[in-house]
Amino acid sequence: MLVRTGLTGPFPRSEELVAATRDLDRGRTTPEAVEALYAAAERDVLALEERLGLDTVTAGYLRWADLFRPIAETWEGFTVGPLTRWFETNTFYRQPILHAPPIREPGALAARIPPALRSDPSRARVILPGPYTFAGLLDNRSGETESALVHRLGRLLGEEVRELRGLGYATFQFTEPWLVVHPPEGPRAEAVVAGYRAIAAALEGGTSIVWTYGADARPAFDVLDRLPVSAIGVDLSDTDPERIPEAPGGPGLGLGVLDARTTLAEDPAEIARLVRAIEARRRPAVTWLGPGMPLDLLPHAPATRKVRVLADARKALGDGGGP
Amino acid sequence: MTARVLFPTQEIGSLAKPRWQLLGQRGEPLDERARAEFRAADDRLHFAGDHAAARDALLDGRSREVGADGVRDLAALFFLRYLEAAGLDRVYDGEARRIEMYEYPIRQMHGFRFEGHVRSFDSKYYLKAAVTDEIRLDRPYHVEEFDFVRAHARAEPKIPITGPYTLADWSYNEHYLARQRGWKGRTARRAAQREFVVDLARRALRPTLAALIERGARVIQIDEPAAGTHPDEADLVVEGFNAATDGLDAEFTMHICFSNYRDLLPALLEAKRCRQWAWEFANRDSPEHDGYEVLRALREYGDAREIGLGVLDVHRDAVESPERVAERIGRAAKYLGDPSRIWVNPDCGLRTRSLEVARAKLEAMGRGAALARAALEDPRR
Repeated sequence: MLVRTGLTGPFPRSEELVAATRDLDRGRTTPEAVEALYAAAERDVLALEERLGLDTVTAGYLRWADLFRPIAETWEGFTVGPLTRWFETNTFYRQPILHAPPIREPGALAARIPPALRSDPSRARVILPGPYTFAGLLDNRSGETESALVHRLGRLLGEEVRELRGLGYATFQFTEPWLVVHPPEGPRAEAVVAGYRAIAAALEGGTSIVWTYGADARPAFDVLDRLPVSAIGVDLSDTDPERIPEAPGGPGLGLGVLDARTTLAEDPAEIARLVRAIEARRRPAVTWLGPGMPLDLLPHAPATRKVRVLADARKALGDGGGP
Repeated sequence: MTARVLFPTQEIGSLAKPRWQLLGQRGEPLDERARAEFRAADDRLHFAGDHAAARDALLDGRSREVGADGVRDLAALFFLRYLEAAGLDRVYDGEARRIEMYEYPIRQMHGFRFEGHVRSFDSKYYLKAAVTDEIRLDRPYHVEEFDFVRAHARAEPKIPITGPYTLADWSYNEHYLARQRGWKGRTARRAAQREFVVDLARRALRPTLAALIERGARVIQIDEPAAGTHPDEADLVVEGFNAATDGLDAEFTMHICFSNYRDLLPALLEAKRCRQWAWEFANRDSPEHDGYEVLRALREYGDAREIGLGVLDVHRDAVESPERVAERIGRAAKYLGDPSRIWVNPDCGLRTRSLEVARAKLEAMGRGAALARAALEDPRR
């Protein structure tokens, strides 16, 4: 049993950082003071991840306004649009508006990866929007069909992966809630697979994880199991653990074992029992454990409590360091 | 009961707090701008006449002497006159005493623990609590606030109160989820949420509504802005509404905004004692998209309740013309098939706009309602 752990989305800002960013909006502090707090808070998240022995680290992605903004604000073809609800949550993203086929801006995304990750990129988990979710949630005024756009975004994200591989980054998560909320069929499903083939071609030995949440993943498994990725992740808060289909020889499996919608801490022993049962049935080469939805749906203190559960669950499963 | 004019008007909720209120309730002396705003408002609305001592102290830089509650009294009077001057048939106090619609009611209850801030977007956050124990209410809330409004309002008061579903959805559910056996997946989460909503309704909302009714509240707006967040939980919205209003006699309305209403139907129609749906429409109404077309769905389901028709977009400064308002009312009347069911209001609380813009919008709303009324009485217009 090979178990890996890591955060799967942004970590919440500390109360101190919350206050500082509010003060900045109100002109009561300086950008320099807030920048210093961001840097310190990123180091704190990184230290927490390392102390708990997580296999990939994120430094929290505290500065990212939403999943799309680093791309929507830097690649050509986009403007940033209206506030839009992020699935069934009380958080919002600014919907990217695509006016023309997008053009990637080399170096732009790398510059937005948390600085605390740059000194040791080999352990960093780079979190990106998946091409299907990106295409599905933006306002597409480019004239391109959704399927063509999914494929194009897959190619562009592949270019991004290639560039980041060159900088030493090795683990890439593609966040894809739309895959389970609106499972693709027919040509759209083929476009998703083609998009991920383009990403796989750029991976050069790296790890790719597709992470889903927001709905029961079972209707999407036909597509998920075809994706040429290292692992597919499903949120056990939405998908019945006992009904995850068997797929011996399929990709690795990611399991969202922390529910960011409640402050109630999960029981590590129960997580371990579930994981063992799923592994016995599906036999993935590797199992990635993490939060289902991003932990920034919680305030900082309960999110910190939850991430400790992840480390405790790993211990309950044994050392997890080898097959 | 006197017959109402066609297309009566009402507000929906909160308004932006004036600078003099914010400074004054913090005990800070008013600066020149705040003093000027206060004087201009009082010259126009004459709201502070019965509170001359407080007014003079505030304008004289002695905010501490007035005290936070005294400043809020002045603010409540200001908003009542502000809304009445705009010609509204139903008014409240602009929620002058409330910080927002979640934290205050939760702080009146036992069983919750505030956990910290969650980011809504960019650098906007909200404070969120977890329910960790049995819910218990010390005493009904909003009662003194309503007493003050009732004593001073010249138009009919309509009190807004956050509904049980929204309070539950905006909280973390620990207590009820912990009682569920086994893995806390979708089924357990839904069962726990149902218990939470119903307990909030029975233990907090219903006693508060009963107390308000006892003090003379006749029109009560239950705010459920979270109703559209999880469309498959529309039945829980209804269950909470029905439990909160069980056995109570008042005119209840339900405000929902920024939701896909069709997704909530027909489940929502089981809210038995709801007399009016007060919904947002203007925000989604454009030359490319008919924001009012969804009203057809109510007709299809045979629902004959009143509609609180949102005709003002609270997210844009551009002031709707009276003609635009009248056209929207006319379109809605056509979809509903009965103009007498329409109340006219902003989409939501106008706190997102400056008081100047909100006033201009409300006045345009009143003129638009009059135009629509005249057009119906004389179709040649």
